[in-house]
Amino acid sequence: MNSQIQTVADNVIKGKSKVIAGLVQEALDAGCDASEILNAMIDAMGVVGGKFKRNEIFVPEMLIAAKAMKKGVEVLKPHLAGDGANVYGKMIIGTVAGDLHDIGKNLVAMMIESAGFEVIDLGVDVPIEKFVETIQANPDVKIVGLSALLTTTMPALKDTVAALNNADFRSSIKVMVGGAPITQEFADEIGADAYTADAASAAEKAKELAA
Amino acid sequence: MIIIGEKINGSIPSVAAAIAQRDAEFIKDRARKQAEAGATFIDCCASVPEEQEPEALKWLIDCIQEVTDLPISIDSPSPRVLAEVYTHCKRPGLFNSVSGEGDKIDTIFPIMAKEENKKWQVIALLSDNTGIPKCAADRLRVFDRIMEKAKEYNIAPERIHVDPLVEMLCTSEDGIATNVEVISTIRRQYPTIHITAAVSNISFNLPVRKLINCCFLTLAMNAGLDSAILDPVNRDMLGHIYATEALLGLDEYCMEYIGAYREGLIGPEQKK
Repeated sequence: MNSQIQTVADNVIKGKSKVIAGLVQEALDAGCDASEILNAMIDAMGVVGGKFKRNEIFVPEMLIAAKAMKKGVEVLKPHLAGDGANVYGKMIIGTVAGDLHDIGKNLVAMMIESAGFEVIDLGVDVPIEKFVETIQANPDVKIVGLSALLTTTMPALKDTVAALNNADFRSSIKVMVGGAPITQEFADEIGADAYTADAASAAEKAKELAA
Repeated sequence: MIIIGEKINGSIPSVAAAIAQRDAEFIKDRARKQAEAGATFIDCCASVPEEQEPEALKWLIDCIQEVTDLPISIDSPSPRVLAEVYTHCKRPGLFNSVSGEGDKIDTIFPIMAKEENKKWQVIALLSDNTGIPKCAADRLRVFDRIMEKAKEYNIAPERIHVDPLVEMLCTSEDGIATNVEVISTIRRQYPTIHITAAVSNISFNLPVRKLINCCFLTLAMNAGLDSAILDPVNRDMLGHIYATEALLGLDEYCMEYIGAYREGLIGPEQKK
């Protein structure tokens, strides 16, 4: 890898959001290809996700890396063809009806965005119809991510997945679920395509499903 | 948090012996260890008779400057000694200390007012000729007089570390209420001033002193303390500082706290 691109990647890993914009600009000025820089940053976030999964870094360290990545992408965007930083496609994410938890969901959204997706975040307490409408309005959506953090909102998760499974667009999307009480068994039982235990795994899985 | 490392002080018997024998390696080792632990200033106090003090302090300063570039806090009860010795420092440091007592301020502030000394800072104790005022209102009156003088000599608040004077908890009637009142009042009036304390005084004559020291630090920082005279090599104390700063919202994303852990400064000793 070109040494300037390597520097950008290293600083994403270290979460140096204050210097990243300047470094990306320098790399562009030196004639580096914008999508090559983007891919290097995406790979860097993959490294960060791996470290998180192995308990080598803490949540804030993952957070600042994603923040740095975002700063870099802002500089990169005008230089990227077509969908900009959207390498893998669109993803819709939200916490299901009746559940107001957003920390974990936000972390997943951030990591998936950092992995090269355009993320539409519907927020918390999202009714089933809202998910359906948004998917219909965005026919190019590849993944829908649903979060439930309470045992009491697991039924809402089940109902949401059921509604998606009955929709005519079902074959064009993949449904991912997560949240503290959710397990692989539960995901299988309600008919979701994937379950992941943490934000880093979610980003990896999303890339795999969208590929 | 500004940490003024207290380990080079002639009132500590092993340090007194090193000063008497001019054991430079002993002093250098203490300076180095405090620097590695993240001290902001290295304090040096000779604790010898005044006529021997300038020479002893200059020797201590030489020892420290040989191993670290950190600024030095020159610690002497005599303003004349401070005035004589400070030029021996390679870089601007901290005068430790002045107070409302005698001619301390009128000796040190004119030196600090000079253009070439604009980066020197000072610790100002809130005592006066009557000793340590009992109540918060009286200490704040001493503070007001010190700040009038500072204004007169054009010394900005950020060059001053106010020491509200920490007395032993075991004989206090109101815990640290007086300190908290003084610290929070000063912090409200002067957002950029530094407020410091000789932390370990609080636990004198009590068992398990580190519990008292650490909890005092947390409560005082909550009131507005942003500087402290303590032993930075003490991992418990340092850990409390980082944790408290994070809890007070002074450490974005807890990165300082995590960084200190990664560097092995806080938490259980990591085997290398």
